[in-house]
Amino acid sequence: MRDGREAMTARVRRAARVTGLGLLVQLGAAVHWTPATFIAAAAFGTPLVLAGAGLFLAAVWRNIKAKGAV
Amino acid sequence: MLPTPIIIALLVGIAVVVLGFFGAGTLTAHTVGRLVLLVAVVALPLLLSAGNLSYGIHQSSTTRFCLSCHEMQRHGKSLFADDKQALAAAHYQNRLVDRETVCYACHKDYALFGDVTAKLNGLRHVWAHYVSGPPAKLALYRPYPNSNCLHCHDDSRRFVEAAPHRPLLAALYAGSTSCLSCHRVAHDMAKVDADQLWQAR
Repeated sequence: MRDGREAMTARVRRAARVTGLGLLVQLGAAVHWTPATFIAAAAFGTPLVLAGAGLFLAAVWRNIKAKGAV
Repeated sequence: MLPTPIIIALLVGIAVVVLGFFGAGTLTAHTVGRLVLLVAVVALPLLLSAGNLSYGIHQSSTTRFCLSCHEMQRHGKSLFADDKQALAAAHYQNRLVDRETVCYACHKDYALFGDVTAKLNGLRHVWAHYVSGPPAKLALYRPYPNSNCLHCHDDSRRFVEAAPHRPLLAALYAGSTSCLSCHRVAHDMAKVDADQLWQAR
């Protein structure tokens, strides 16, 4: 069974994957700038980055809770 | 393509996230490392996204953006119509509005949610362009409101003191008489179709 730090690392990596995907969508839109790609960046890219940030903060929160700090 | 600094900033952001991804195993072991991850995976990407979105929204208000759909190109050409009475041509050619945002200046509402409404209508335009197809005849979603004209002309001397306006001022401010009831030609498509255009040398 994975210890706490390994679990934390896995969650952070999942958050980084989602965030990176969001930035990639935005990069694609920035390179090929059309009304459709702008909407794709706004509707998918930005929410993916927000979701990645949420996953990261959730990982930190779970880690803090697991350590009994709250 | 958006300006190079934006592309570079996004590339740097992605590189930092990738570094965070591969370095997560080491970085989660230390307090400073966890702070680095916070910046790499949360703060920097959020900052970049906010900047990119803000710039994108600004760009989506530009004349070039509006005219990037072929359906609007005749309207774009009407800015150059050789007709001093046509509203679009008169405003554009006399630089009464910023040429970079000429469509947006006249076609967005200026109330509290004017920008939001304009952007939501923009989504409908994009839907029509890519999915449902444009209507046979392009038309406004609702009658053109006087408030959009009055946003600029409101208390301007040239407007208030113009003889034809004086007896109508109250009705124009109340919106009971449309500015377009006299200024009938907004976009002179006849001149566009006849290729009668004007451009400063």
